Amino acid sequence: MIEPTWRLPPIPVLLVGVVLIACAELGGGAMAQFKLELARWARGTMLARPEVHGLVGVRDVDEQILDEALVKLDGGLRLFHLHAEGMGTIIIVTAMVATSLVGRSALRRTIVALIMVGGAGYPLGYLLWSGLIPFHGIARSKRLAEWLVWIPFGSAAIVAMWLLAGALAAQWLGGRRSGDAA
Amino acid sequence: MPRNRAGQAPALRSVVTLLLMLVCAGPAVAHHVGAYTPRDNEVSANFKQIKFSVQAGKFDVARRLFDEGALRRELQKQAATLPPGLEASIRGALDARDARTAEAGLMVFFAALVRSLALEADRQLGESSVPAGARVAGGGKMLEAIWRYYNLVDFAVSQRDPKAATAVRLAFEEAEGYVKAPAPSPERMRPPLVQIARVLAGVIEASSPSARRDS
Repeated sequence: MIEPTWRLPPIPVLLVGVVLIACAELGGGAMAQFKLELARWARGTMLARPEVHGLVGVRDVDEQILDEALVKLDGGLRLFHLHAEGMGTIIIVTAMVATSLVGRSALRRTIVALIMVGGAGYPLGYLLWSGLIPFHGIARSKRLAEWLVWIPFGSAAIVAMWLLAGALAAQWLGGRRSGDAA
Repeated sequence: MPRNRAGQAPALRSVVTLLLMLVCAGPAVAHHVGAYTPRDNEVSANFKQIKFSVQAGKFDVARRLFDEGALRRELQKQAATLPPGLEASIRGALDARDARTAEAGLMVFFAALVRSLALEADRQLGESSVPAGARVAGGGKMLEAIWRYYNLVDFAVSQRDPKAATAVRLAFEEAEGYVKAPAPSPERMRPPLVQIARVLAGVIEASSPSARRDS
């Protein structure tokens, strides 16, 4: 029997969520403050690797390639900011729902662990993608971020959410059945 | 029988979990990575400003935008490859409120830029020391730049020389087709690029200030 009150998730889980939101805010601020320096550094790094980025030595062509890479790099940082804010909140809320409403302790621990690891790791993929673009180009950096971060951590977060949804549905249906029997 | 059902429960749970994992695999592969829309560079942006000012009949504004803008700076930088007197012709047309001549001058300038890009693309595609895939990828980027510039004056070219405009578009599409081909073949991309350069050389020749004076 579960008490009809909200319970606090484990403090380390809350800490991960809050630190992630703090990182998002820090990232957003730093992105705005060092926008010019970042663009200069990225441009210099890309110009030092013409083969990686497919630069052909013609200004009309290369400027567009560099511009696209800089836009994607900036986009990656923005997406990190947004996802870290969102996932931080999702970690806290999901862990709280699971802790309060999922009765079976193994399932509860699994959901909380998956959402904590998946939720905290997923936004870092955007940071990794942005950081890799000047060195490996847009497409290769995306593939690296995908296989190293987005797919494993994103899957963990999605599985956690579906497990939680399944557990809540099962509990609701079980409650209705026992109510009907009574 | 009830024992059998109890034994089936963990297996069923495993199957459901596996299905859940498979359902999750699809969404996990998709991520928001944003979209990129190519922007105008300062030359094409300045061209549009001048063109719209001329179309609105604001020739004084167009003249100022021409005098102070990136287009004229680029025109001066490329002077050696452009027909003589092109800058003076555009300025004179703006002073005389002659939209057609101003448009022709700007068209010649962009046609010359496209011609230079096509010749450079042809040269780079012929560099046998570079792997074929890299040459085709570079050629594809050059084609994008060619189209960005040509697209600005396509209408003006087709008004003056419809055959040339069609020939450029067909050659562009042919070259683009080789970029998308499964097996990279840089050598096959070269003839359409040479064709673009050749056709535009004719357009420049026919529309340059000296040709207009002679006609």
